[in-house]
Amino acid sequence: MKTNYLLPNKYKTIGWVLLVLGLIFGTFIWSTEYESDLLTIKVLSIFNDDQLFDSNKKLFKIIKNDIIDELAAFAIIFGGLIVGFTKEKIEDEFIYKLRKDSLVWAIIFNYILLAFTIAFVYNFTFFHILVFNMFTPLLFFIIRFNFLKFKSRSHEE
Amino acid sequence: MKNKIKIQRAIHDLTQADLAEKIGVSRQTINAMEKNKYVPSTVLSLKISKLFKKSVEEIFILDDND
Repeated sequence: MKTNYLLPNKYKTIGWVLLVLGLIFGTFIWSTEYESDLLTIKVLSIFNDDQLFDSNKKLFKIIKNDIIDELAAFAIIFGGLIVGFTKEKIEDEFIYKLRKDSLVWAIIFNYILLAFTIAFVYNFTFFHILVFNMFTPLLFFIIRFNFLKFKSRSHEE
Repeated sequence: MKNKIKIQRAIHDLTQADLAEKIGVSRQTINAMEKNKYVPSTVLSLKISKLFKKSVEEIFILDDND
């Protein structure tokens, strides 16, 4: 099965490590209300408005920011992409179909869930939903794909 | 689509894993095809037929839903 967007199987372990580390750090940051101050450095902000409704918005400004949440987000995104888009040990057309089906399932499931939370979650709590929703399409895809793989493996001949 | 992979496999005394290895797919793929949960591509159908030295129609049969 030839595909042009899948990485070799050997990267899968790196992907899992990154993803799990990202999720652990992400949960930690989320539980401390994004107030950690571990790695504050100067960063380039392309578009900056410190306060909501601030009239002097600035482009390309150097600001100070704790980058631990950015690092955790990168780890989840790249770890997740690597886990989801590396070849299986035996990559064939059935696995390819499972992957595609899982992607479709994840997108539909994610947006049904999001629509539900739009309808029933309000105020600042919804901010958490927005944060989770940055990662849930990828996470639902990975969970669904691995579940389908496991299910098709479990019934011996 | 129905298929007779399981029967042919028994005739040739192959396990799912043996057959999978011979045609270069995973064992899950053979399992899913035998349970009619997966319709193989033309390439895979041809490979299986070639291995069993049968024509494609002898192994893969259209059913009423197709």
